Amino acid sequence: MFRQIQALQVLARRSIGSSAMRQSNKVPNKQKMFQEDNGMPIHLKGGSSDALLYRGTMVLTVLETFCVEFACSPRVCEQQRRANRRDIFSFRVKKELVTSSTSW
Amino acid sequence: MAHQAHAYHMVDPSPWPLTGAVAALLMTSGLAMWFHYNTTTLMILGTILLLLTMYQWWRDIVREGTYQGHHTPPVQKGLRYGMILFITSEVFFFLGFFWAFFHSSLAPTPEIGGCWPPTGITPLDPFGVPLLNTAVLLASGVTVTWAHHSIMEGERKQAIQSLALTILLGGYFTFLQAMEYYEAPFTIADSVYGSTFFVATGFHGLHVIIGTTFLAVCLLRQINYHFTVEHHFGFEAAAWYWHFVDVVWLFLYISIYWWGS
Repeated sequence: MFRQIQALQVLARRSIGSSAMRQSNKVPNKQKMFQEDNGMPIHLKGGSSDALLYRGTMVLTVLETFCVEFACSPRVCEQQRRANRRDIFSFRVKKELVTSSTSW
Repeated sequence: MAHQAHAYHMVDPSPWPLTGAVAALLMTSGLAMWFHYNTTTLMILGTILLLLTMYQWWRDIVREGTYQGHHTPPVQKGLRYGMILFITSEVFFFLGFFWAFFHSSLAPTPEIGGCWPPTGITPLDPFGVPLLNTAVLLASGVTVTWAHHSIMEGERKQAIQSLALTILLGGYFTFLQAMEYYEAPFTIADSVYGSTFFVATGFHGLHVIIGTTFLAVCLLRQINYHFTVEHHFGFEAAAWYWHFVDVVWLFLYISIYWWGS
């Protein structure tokens, strides 16, 4: 029993530590890449994936700025309020019908 | 490339403060839309933008410090002051909720039965899961200190193991607390007891999740050789935050769980 527990401990330690320990040191390569004098700002210096993520974020930012103006406008809010009142009304009517039918 | 004649960091222009501000606008207006008009679209969009902003902003700070060498000793000093001031502001945030708790519990009104806990409230047993939670967080304080000493001594394997253990303990606390919330015999709507209990412990739980995430990022950085024996401020900031979360729990346990029962 004790030997089995010991074996389990060794296995757990190996699986937690092994893939992390096998990682090679890529910091010098990254340092060379990010210290290159190419005039790129830090948020775009990592390559094309940076540009893709930046563009996606900016598109979302602009869209959302317009979204707020539209969604919080008085006309849309009034429409939403009416739709909610309709839902609450139809729920109450259904509840009345159910309770009145069961009271017999 | 022009060379600077000082040790300070003149940051590149960045779009992330703007995207963060728009995300905050959407999250707050989205919260109002959810409460009043039952629609979560705005809030979800705001949260996505916030996550994108946080990822890219902090990625850039890691690049500036680890890859470009901008975090010189004077810059690090500024970062340390910044983290200390931020944690101090969080202390004041929690002080407010403790004030609310003591305001209601030291002089309980007739409406709640003139006693604390109020009439009809069954408080949680402080010597059950809450005591286990205390042990878990105290143990995590030990493991995070072990991780720090390992980093300072250049013990890579031990640093990774102790940091991973700290994160596991943080996850275990969150799991146990979630179970307690599910099984609790009272809700947030159950008088001022429920309000003070769930708001104070709820915000604490959120901070545990934030702290665990911070430590997880540090684990990834440690695995990728970002931290050196002399320079590992990102980890130190995470460890300070974790100790703060631990201390807040101790105050919560003593005052709300133990004295408050």
